[in-house]
Amino acid sequence: MSASSDSELIISIRDVSKTFPGVRALDKVSIDVRKGSVHGIVGENGAGKSTLMKILSGVYQKDSGTIVFDGEQIEGTTPQQSMKRGLAIIYQELNLVSTMSVGENIFLGRFKEMKGMRGSHAKARELLDSIDCKVDTHKLVSQLSVSLKQMVEIAKALSFKSKLIIMDEPSSSLTAEEMAELTKIIRQLREQGISIIYISHKLDEIFEFCDTVTVMRDGHAIDTRPTLEFTRNDMITKMVGRAIENEYPPRPAKVGGTLMEVRSITTRKLKDVSFTLREGEILGFVGLVGAGRTEIVRAVFGADKARGHSVFIGGKRVPIRNPRDAKRAGFGLIPEDRKLQGLILPFSVETNISMASMDNFSRFGFIRRSLEKGIGERQVKALSVKTPSVRVPVGNLSGGNQQKCIVGRWLEIAPKIFIMDEPTKGIDVGAKYEIYLLMKRIAEDGGAIILISSELPEVLNMSNRVLTIFEGRITGEFDPAVTAVDRIMASALGMKEVPA
Amino acid sequence: MSGIAKEGTLRSVADFMRSYLLVVLIAALVIGTAIFEPRFLSGMNLINLMRQFGPLIMVALGMTFVIMGGFIDLSVAGIINLVAVVTISLIQIVGQVPALILGLAIGAACGALNSAVILSSGALTQAEALFMTFGMSTVYSALALLYSHGSTMHFWDINKSKSLFQAIGAGKVGPVSISFLIFLALLALLWLFQTKTTEGRAIRLTGGNKIAAELVGIRIRRSIVVIYTLCGLMAGVGAIVLFSRITTAAPVIGAGFETNAILAVVVGGTTLKGGNGSVLRTVMGVLLIILMSNCLNLLGVSPYLQVVAKGAILVFAIWLDNRKQ
Repeated sequence: MSASSDSELIISIRDVSKTFPGVRALDKVSIDVRKGSVHGIVGENGAGKSTLMKILSGVYQKDSGTIVFDGEQIEGTTPQQSMKRGLAIIYQELNLVSTMSVGENIFLGRFKEMKGMRGSHAKARELLDSIDCKVDTHKLVSQLSVSLKQMVEIAKALSFKSKLIIMDEPSSSLTAEEMAELTKIIRQLREQGISIIYISHKLDEIFEFCDTVTVMRDGHAIDTRPTLEFTRNDMITKMVGRAIENEYPPRPAKVGGTLMEVRSITTRKLKDVSFTLREGEILGFVGLVGAGRTEIVRAVFGADKARGHSVFIGGKRVPIRNPRDAKRAGFGLIPEDRKLQGLILPFSVETNISMASMDNFSRFGFIRRSLEKGIGERQVKALSVKTPSVRVPVGNLSGGNQQKCIVGRWLEIAPKIFIMDEPTKGIDVGAKYEIYLLMKRIAEDGGAIILISSELPEVLNMSNRVLTIFEGRITGEFDPAVTAVDRIMASALGMKEVPA
Repeated sequence: MSGIAKEGTLRSVADFMRSYLLVVLIAALVIGTAIFEPRFLSGMNLINLMRQFGPLIMVALGMTFVIMGGFIDLSVAGIINLVAVVTISLIQIVGQVPALILGLAIGAACGALNSAVILSSGALTQAEALFMTFGMSTVYSALALLYSHGSTMHFWDINKSKSLFQAIGAGKVGPVSISFLIFLALLALLWLFQTKTTEGRAIRLTGGNKIAAELVGIRIRRSIVVIYTLCGLMAGVGAIVLFSRITTAAPVIGAGFETNAILAVVVGGTTLKGGNGSVLRTVMGVLLIILMSNCLNLLGVSPYLQVVAKGAILVFAIWLDNRKQ
């Protein structure tokens, strides 16, 4: 590590440790961030990135170690104090009041200092202009896209004259263009002398604009180096602690006959959607967020009401009025939002795993605990879920391990048709690969998977077949192994003329 | 590493305090009062305590399931009013055994009606249920007033046999009151229901996360019907135990039971967020509340101040519950 004098550092973290019940979240982590640099932090979920950031901003208190920010030692700070000191953090789930205007959000609680609303809006305009953001300061935040909300957060950080802005996974819900915009702003901020800590899973971004990178794993800062000294593989190896050969396993090989046929689903958002699913197949849905991908699978699964909807399995019509019917008919679902729709965070790993298969461990309406215990242990072992025991709350696990619990919950009843809506969202590289292997195994055991993902490479590399969806309709069907990506994208964007 | 070990001990002490705070509080209350006021341990006072336990615990046990399922029920006061006046008058009309059965059926039916109103409106949040059941409570109370013409009925107005209700109200087997035995039997049943049955599990899952539960095929609508019906039924049991003990039934007899029941459940440690809780905790909660008011009475504390203490405890219990998360 190159020695740099303390005056060049905006923040110096020394031997910071933090323990939660049962987990050593940070173990003597030391990181220096130079003034005016963009410092990337990468690591799998559960590596300790978020914990470290929450300690810096004052949400958590460290157990030991020292933090020197801009030449001043920080002890027992609160998020408000950090803000005032010039350390801003922009969380993945943005912290804005959706029912208030842009200007009001930027100066929330500081209207007096700004000499009222008029002053607040004027100053907000100035700040937004400085980052080339044209949004009207009187617009309600609820009407903004995610990327515009991020701009508002950045303007808010600037309003505190921040010297260091921490961005926690800012790109997770941005389109490519929005990302380019953000990249521009990050460079601009750096020119103004503002330091940035950039947390991300996406290595492309790290290599694009980070000056220095720290790799974290299991609560340790494994390595800090100038980005140029890293290779991609090098970084992935350090993140997961072992070498990963490929990002995707080969597609399932044996696709059989028709397993399920869906005829003309119509809902408020969907227009006459019909498709088939074959045995042993992974079928990908490609489309923009909001195109109706999730609505299709929810209607099939009985989670949303649909008109004129019929599902045929093995040639026979199966009435599906609710998720319970779907489960009986052999469906399993990994919902889009793991925390809101998938898990009961305060409940144990075991209860979260066993909840779909209650019929298997009960008789005459009575639960047989001895059988239930086996289920939790079995799936945790089979999927190598990292957890100290099956009794800890599932909310304590990392994203990838939480997702494995949801997969395991369904494997217990061996569904024929597995619907996976964004199965690897917010999951790190190593765990992603494990989920891919699981998908392949499910398909090769004769099941079939409907895969929805916003990560195009993932759908294209995993699926045997993809359907493109645009404004509630299916606009095309492709074999991703032989089709050019831009043709598939054009179809997903609703273009009639597909480029050859 | 000794730092970690020490931290571990501290943490387990803190965990112990959280889990058993209630037991500690109850013990402290009993010992403290017994020292300052020896009358506390007199036979008369203990019997009095056991009798007070009766109606509230019944209502609170039912309420536990509603709260565990992620909802709340303010209508129990109205249900108690209605069940009490109707049942006591039915003794005269249809005889005591049919009266008892009909009384319980009315309680259950009121609860089922609550769930039907909630489900058909689609108002599936706790806050919406709060207002819905508050509205239903006024309906049941008004029905009780209409039915009784606002008058109080006494046992001595009834010239048919009412031995069953007299036994519930004042009967004893050895030194133990019959109402206490009823409580023990119901507690055992409800505890089995909560911990051993699939429906009990479904209620917890629904309370923990309705959306997730529904997506794995849990019948959350059925669970909602079950919790409200059970709560109505237990309010009916509470009403019968109550008027049997005091041998009269006024159409306002249930006032305040909804807040005391919720207080007992929450103080016991069942979280208002739904999911986690237990009927055993509720028993502790009721015990604490009754002991507290008994102690404060014996120590001569003003009843107004006692109300303040109750409110403070409720706020403290919710505060503690939120700190845990």
